[in-house]
Amino acid sequence: MKFRYLSLGAVAIGMVLVGSASTAHADIPGSSGCEGTGGWLEDGLFVIAETNGGVYVIPRSDTVAWEGSVAAPPGLYSGSISVDLPPPFGEVLVDDWGGDSESTGNSGAHEYDFPSLVPAGVEFEVYGQHSDENGGCSGTITFEIDGGPFDSPITPISLGGTAVFAILTGLALKPMFKRVA
Amino acid sequence: MSYGRVVLSAVLAMFLFLFIAADLVLFGVIPLNSVIVTILPLVGLVVGALLGVMARKKHSGGESQAPPAQFAPPAAI
Repeated sequence: MKFRYLSLGAVAIGMVLVGSASTAHADIPGSSGCEGTGGWLEDGLFVIAETNGGVYVIPRSDTVAWEGSVAAPPGLYSGSISVDLPPPFGEVLVDDWGGDSESTGNSGAHEYDFPSLVPAGVEFEVYGQHSDENGGCSGTITFEIDGGPFDSPITPISLGGTAVFAILTGLALKPMFKRVA
Repeated sequence: MSYGRVVLSAVLAMFLFLFIAADLVLFGVIPLNSVIVTILPLVGLVVGALLGVMARKKHSGGESQAPPAQFAPPAAI
């Protein structure tokens, strides 16, 4: 399943290539000299890819102005953004890119709107990696959507499921609670 | 000897713990990629099976008890 809505993860990590060179910011660890920033236009949040800002709380919908660059012309390049799931499920691919370019940077703006099914207040770890002819780099950011657990219809469903299975489990184990005379 | 109760308890407890894990994620207690989300249903499976065994023993123990005196067979002469 591809969560195209989560492409702001790519924006925040700022590893999207091809286009105009960006101004210098802190490097993302790796050998390609990757740099990236993302600015939330309405919320005012600004993320520099290398900075470990802990958990970023982002609005459910906004527009992100992003910039990304590498130190030298990349040549053949590829990369991806994915969201970490609990083991053994691995990752969900959010977006990927690839091609052949001599441009060292790119920038743009991306409007997003998470559906209400995506729960608020849950920490998502987004992992991004990029590789080109000069090497590669990777990074992660953790973010959560602003709001409470009941902003998503999944929460009452999950609570209902917990109650139903608690009752069923209790019924299955009923003999344990009976007094044997 | 039936193991139906043990299997049923294990499966139900696994789903119960799975939903508890989902609740913990949804209420922001643990992150989505936490290993606890994976472990809890397995814990539920084991705990449910163990409780099922105990319940089965208690159930069969109660059934195998001597019947009340009025239903007891007459003593041999």
